[in-house]
Amino acid sequence: MRRVYAVARREYLERVRSKAFLISTILGPTLLAGFMIAPILLTRQRGRPLQVAVLDESDALGADVSQSLARRRVAGQPRFVVEAAPEGPIEQARASLQERVVRGNLDGYLFLPKDALQRSAAEYYGRNVSNVMDLGLMDKAVEEALVSRRLSQEGLDPDRIRSLTRGVDLKKVRLTTRGAREDRGGSFILSLVLMMLLYTTLAVWGAAVMNGVIEEKTNRVVEVVVSSLSASRLFAGKLVGVGAAGLTQFVVWAACLAAISAAGAAGTGAVGALPELGPLLLVAFVLFFLLGYFLYGSMYASIGAAVNTTQEAQSLVFPVMMPLILSVVFYPMVLSAPDSRLSVVLSLVPFFAPLLMFLRMTAVSPPIWQVALSMLLMLATIAGITWAAARIYRVGILMYGKRPTFPEIIRWVGRP
Amino acid sequence: MGPIITQLSETAIKLTGVTKAFAGHVAVNDLSLAIPRGSVFGLLGPNGAGKTTTLRMIMDILGVDAGAIEILGRPADRSTRDRIGYMPEERGLYPRMVVEEQLAFFATLKGVPRSEALRRVGPWLERVGLSAWRKRKLNELSKGMQQKVQFVATVLPDPEILILDEPLSGLDPVAADAMRETLLDLRRQGRTLVLSSHQMETVERLCDSIALIDRGRKLLDGPVREVKARHGKNTVVLAFDGDGAFLAALAGVQRVTDFGRYVEIRLAEGSDPQAILREAAARLRLSRFEIVEPSLHDIFVEEVTSHGVAAA
Repeated sequence: MRRVYAVARREYLERVRSKAFLISTILGPTLLAGFMIAPILLTRQRGRPLQVAVLDESDALGADVSQSLARRRVAGQPRFVVEAAPEGPIEQARASLQERVVRGNLDGYLFLPKDALQRSAAEYYGRNVSNVMDLGLMDKAVEEALVSRRLSQEGLDPDRIRSLTRGVDLKKVRLTTRGAREDRGGSFILSLVLMMLLYTTLAVWGAAVMNGVIEEKTNRVVEVVVSSLSASRLFAGKLVGVGAAGLTQFVVWAACLAAISAAGAAGTGAVGALPELGPLLLVAFVLFFLLGYFLYGSMYASIGAAVNTTQEAQSLVFPVMMPLILSVVFYPMVLSAPDSRLSVVLSLVPFFAPLLMFLRMTAVSPPIWQVALSMLLMLATIAGITWAAARIYRVGILMYGKRPTFPEIIRWVGRP
Repeated sequence: MGPIITQLSETAIKLTGVTKAFAGHVAVNDLSLAIPRGSVFGLLGPNGAGKTTTLRMIMDILGVDAGAIEILGRPADRSTRDRIGYMPEERGLYPRMVVEEQLAFFATLKGVPRSEALRRVGPWLERVGLSAWRKRKLNELSKGMQQKVQFVATVLPDPEILILDEPLSGLDPVAADAMRETLLDLRRQGRTLVLSSHQMETVERLCDSIALIDRGRKLLDGPVREVKARHGKNTVVLAFDGDGAFLAALAGVQRVTDFGRYVEIRLAEGSDPQAILREAAARLRLSRFEIVEPSLHDIFVEEVTSHGVAAA
């Protein structure tokens, strides 16, 4: 055991001390923070309020619509600055507004035709008519003004109208066994971010093991090492050492992620709530990384042993990457119906489990037996895969020359 | 002298009928060897003779297909290989690792505690003149210095048996001499040294006993003196100016091997060296004439030819 530890220690220190590790460990969370917060900020951040004029041909709605527009707020700020249309004949006013819009000192103007109230119609002329959010807001403002007007014509009191026509604020609340919490779309982002993080780290650290093995083979140090300890122990030490480095980085990232989401959750209202990354989910996140790492890392390591160069490894890496890629392909399907039979089955398949079972955990709370079963199945698969991979490794590390084919590599497992 | 003799009579490594085949090609065929403890043993043969495969089996890197290997009287296994230091022909160290760390790492793999290994690093680095490089990364060192580090990595765990594959290759003459001196020193401490090489003359002078192998089979083995005596004192060394091409055609000459500066003439049984001398002196400007034991190179060639003939 002391020797396996020595190998693991060497691997760990060599990796953790490298500049690349330091940079990616720090850069990761920075990017993550950007990735998680940016979409939220983007939906809030829409620049200065729009400068609009209201041109009223009906001569009755102008003031109401202007007030209604002025009441629209985004993130506490008025969204529209409304100015009165120039006096004079409609066509002349229109022309002058048009010119101002084109010149750029007005964002647009709202035209209320004579029969606006009867036809429920209005027109907006602006430089930018593709801003769905702003136009939606405008749409609602006009609609409200028109509806209020009709209701007051029916004899209702304006205050009464406002209270009767108040919009519905549909809160989305996610229910879990751990309680309820409000969700404003962040849950989806979090699921995506976490899954992509798992995908990336598994691919990156799997490749790291593989390249480490190839490097040892290339600089021939492997023969010196296996003259002191068996290939399977070297394999174990390597897998553990690189895994520990991966885990270090992963835990740093997970902690940052938790901090970001906690900050997001605390800042409800202002920045918009991010779903909190609960402790249970965090533990599962780390566990699934570890299990996934041993599953994929051992396969990557055996490929590294079979080839002479990184280039040669490319074609062999693909079959190993395949389940990982498929997990990402399946992700929208699983996320849209996390409890469907297909989703459950897929998430139990050991090769998909690290990504898909975890994905389900972020979306719903799958029964604990399913989570436990997926982990057990993974452990069993890991036992089998590492055993086979160690045997391939043992044969491969002393093989130089022609790259073996995939069936040849599989046959190495059976060698005495 | 008594204890030393008994020690010498012990066997450090014993191979009995060892065979190893790869994908239909037999690399080592029914090989039996007894390497005496406390001696310098040469495992000699051309490239592809099966030397490296044999060493790998001794180190338990490869398993044997048939036969048995004993180390210091015990079947070869994980514990016996802790007592052997192995320097493969293809040298290998971690390029980005600091020299000191590197040496400590390889020692811990042999079961030496890290603190103890670190203690031993200093004296050894001093001995090979690399003290100043202790904290440097390996890839900052020259190739020759890396070779030295490799050697130190092999001896640092203080193994009883040292197996060095092509120990002198890649060394400049000064370094090679220093290496020979170090090896003899290790031998004086009672260690067993196994030197493997395809350049027979370079290790010949170091070895007490040898085995010659070719195409996986042993041609001969035994103490160098005996091996040479068996082949008789029937070799003439001749150094001269001029064209010596006629020598091969002389009566009583079996074979001429040209070493550049001199030739070695193997005489047929019963022929007279004086006759050769007279003939040569008449036609060439001689600067050296000596009757010697045959070189291992010559013996090897002779054995290969005779076995080859026997096989055919």
